[in-house]
Amino acid sequence: MNRKVLIIGSLVSLPLIAFLAVSFRFDPRAIDSPLVGRPAPEFVLADLEGNVVSSKSLAGKPVVLNFWATWCVPCMYEHPVFVQAARRYEGKVEFLGVIYQDEEQDIRRFLAQRGSWGPSLVDPDTRVAIAYGVYGVPETFFIDAEGVIVQKLAQAVTPGMLDRILGPLL
Amino acid sequence: MISSLGQILVLLALLTCAVGVPVGYLAGARRSLEGLRLTRRLALLYAALMALATLVMEYALLTHDFSVSYVASVGSLATPTHITIVSLWSSLEGSILFWGLVLGGATAAVAYLQRRGHEDYLAYTLATLFAIGIFFTYLISGPANPFAPTALPIPTDGPGPNPLLQNHILMIIHPPMLYLGYVGMSVPFAMAVAALLRGRLGPTWLRPLRNWLLLPTGFLSMGIMLGGWWSYEVLGWGGYWAWDPVENASFLPWLTGIAALHSAIVQQRRGTLKAWTTILIMVSFLLTILGTFLTRSGVVNSVHSFTQSPIGPLFLGFLAVTLVAVVLLLTFRIDTLVSEPHEDAVVSREGAFLLNNLLLVVLMFTVLIGTLFPILAEAVRGVKVSVGEPYFNRMAVPICFGLLLLMGVGPALPWGRPDRGSLKRALLHPLPAAFIAALVTWLLGGRHPYLLLTGALGGYALWVTFSQASRPARARAGRGEKLPRALSSSFWRAPRLLGAYTVHFGVIVTFAAIAISSNFQTSQEATLASGSVMTIGDYRLTLSSVGQFEEPHLTAQRATIAIERKGRNLGVLEPALNFYRTQREPIGTPAVRTSATHDLYLTVMNVGADGRVGLRAIVTPAVLWIWIGVLMMVAGTALCLLQPRAAEATRVVAASAAGAAATENVA
Repeated sequence: MNRKVLIIGSLVSLPLIAFLAVSFRFDPRAIDSPLVGRPAPEFVLADLEGNVVSSKSLAGKPVVLNFWATWCVPCMYEHPVFVQAARRYEGKVEFLGVIYQDEEQDIRRFLAQRGSWGPSLVDPDTRVAIAYGVYGVPETFFIDAEGVIVQKLAQAVTPGMLDRILGPLL
Repeated sequence: MISSLGQILVLLALLTCAVGVPVGYLAGARRSLEGLRLTRRLALLYAALMALATLVMEYALLTHDFSVSYVASVGSLATPTHITIVSLWSSLEGSILFWGLVLGGATAAVAYLQRRGHEDYLAYTLATLFAIGIFFTYLISGPANPFAPTALPIPTDGPGPNPLLQNHILMIIHPPMLYLGYVGMSVPFAMAVAALLRGRLGPTWLRPLRNWLLLPTGFLSMGIMLGGWWSYEVLGWGGYWAWDPVENASFLPWLTGIAALHSAIVQQRRGTLKAWTTILIMVSFLLTILGTFLTRSGVVNSVHSFTQSPIGPLFLGFLAVTLVAVVLLLTFRIDTLVSEPHEDAVVSREGAFLLNNLLLVVLMFTVLIGTLFPILAEAVRGVKVSVGEPYFNRMAVPICFGLLLLMGVGPALPWGRPDRGSLKRALLHPLPAAFIAALVTWLLGGRHPYLLLTGALGGYALWVTFSQASRPARARAGRGEKLPRALSSSFWRAPRLLGAYTVHFGVIVTFAAIAISSNFQTSQEATLASGSVMTIGDYRLTLSSVGQFEEPHLTAQRATIAIERKGRNLGVLEPALNFYRTQREPIGTPAVRTSATHDLYLTVMNVGADGRVGLRAIVTPAVLWIWIGVLMMVAGTALCLLQPRAAEATRVVAASAAGAAATENVA
């Protein structure tokens, strides 16, 4: 048995593992937004069928607000993630999609092919997107039960990220 | 249907690995030939299952079977067939499947090629490869399952692979080269584990071990170069290396792999450094896992991390288990690898090899620390930092100069305990070459101290490289053999010698090309209306027209620019600005005109509403020689794999010829 190897090996490898494990807590792509920590901007929007959703009616439940479009490929990647998450968190979390600069018939075709996961709200003149400081799609805002934005993601969402962010909000 | 078939094949492969581990280790421990035979059969079975699973996936891709989740996520009816075939490695799940295929192939190749004369080590080696195989087949069968059925409703079309990967041939071959390099490191690792378990690392095992280490190192050279070349040709920022974490991840095992190859030479010749070589090989493998973890976990920010995935923690777990196993194995077994006692002088070939190893390891740590520092800073102080090129360049460039110096001095030095006289002759002889090269650099306008240093050290190394490589042939010619015959017979008797010096030559070429291209780059920016002209160097660039083109996955604004040099019309270049549907910002696709001396590189920065084009023109000398230099390294690596003709008898001759040549050091 070679003690020197054991000591040096442990001194190098154990902290490395511990430190890499800790690094999972951070997401280098979680973009700081001045809106994080502030009340979410209010909105009243209608979906494709004309059903109106207002942000006030959602209070009391965490909300996942996703800005997306059919012409955006990362949105296609995250679409199935939302389809499954909306089922998994049914009744506990509200999932809302806000359509960003898109055509109605494209959206209908997209949803018919790939299924839908929540109301698809139409945002005339992209006013709500501007209020949320959206500068591209997809962007996803996580809003807690008190209506405060807790995180913003500017990338396709994965199941792991959803669970990690939504966990503390439930 | 296809889904289940693929999953069954992968599960069978997992089962094969799970059986192979105990069978192999038991066969090794009991030195059972019967057990070894069974282990070898399992290796072939594992490879066959992985090959079948990959074929099934290719079938699903080609038939656009969107009920298979991987096809639904990367397939598209509009994608051309050759892109569909290679989209196997365009996204995470498929690339892990490809990884499994390569690992299976490597396992079977070891079982076949090393079947004779290596019975002592083979069972342990295969068992270790099976252990690695368990992890990857587990990933394929569960957490990163490409065969998982698509969630209903099954889509009628998919998004297609990442468009950035579709538009250049280099992107088709770059990933498999890197995978071959990464996966290939498992083999020397497994062979080193076998040596530790057996408590012996003799010449019979060292020879195949060196070859199996040469392979992944060569593939890494190729993969790294192709990545740089691709980013130069496609991404439009005019550079080829940015010290991005993912680039670094491929660079780290390459460095330790090279260190291990050099220490293996010392071991082969002097019987020393056994433990050190073993450790370097193990570290190389660990670094490939760390690199994959960094790429796939999303813990570092990188241009490459378009596939963030949930397998990060699993990779960390695998890394942790492997690290602990390696530390324990080394703790208990390293003392069994006893080096033969040798009293060598510090200033000798051995000393140079040691210093080379030291520099390579220091360089590896420098890059590793720079890569991990952002995570460290966030963990400790909660701030987001990025470590950029200035750190890496300032730290790495001096070390690289040290390596270039050693590439000249090392091969010039005699082995063992040289006396003062022979040392002096060996080291002074190439000095005129160094002086001339530095003078030429000066005359060509190289005034920066780094450039002059590159000239001097490069000239020295070049002289030593050529005189060492040609020594056996010159000795033969001196004995009256005809020159062509002397060349061919000395090559066939010691192809490795020539291979090694070809690699060195390639390194010198690459080094010089990088130094020149990064010091003499000129760039010019201008906003051009149709018909207006800008000049850069000898070039006159005229904007002829600008147009907008729609393609399925992008909108391109393409500028047509007429090129004229010293009054001669050289045709047109068409740089474009691409608005990919997947990317949030437009990406410039550059247009490059390559020549032996320099590249003219044009990118569109923006196109105004009035049709005026913001154009950036860059003239960079010597870029072509970077790729050529690396290709030389790869070719040299391939030469090193050749068996010397009439193996044993001539090996001694070649070795003594090289040894004698090194000590005589005559011109």
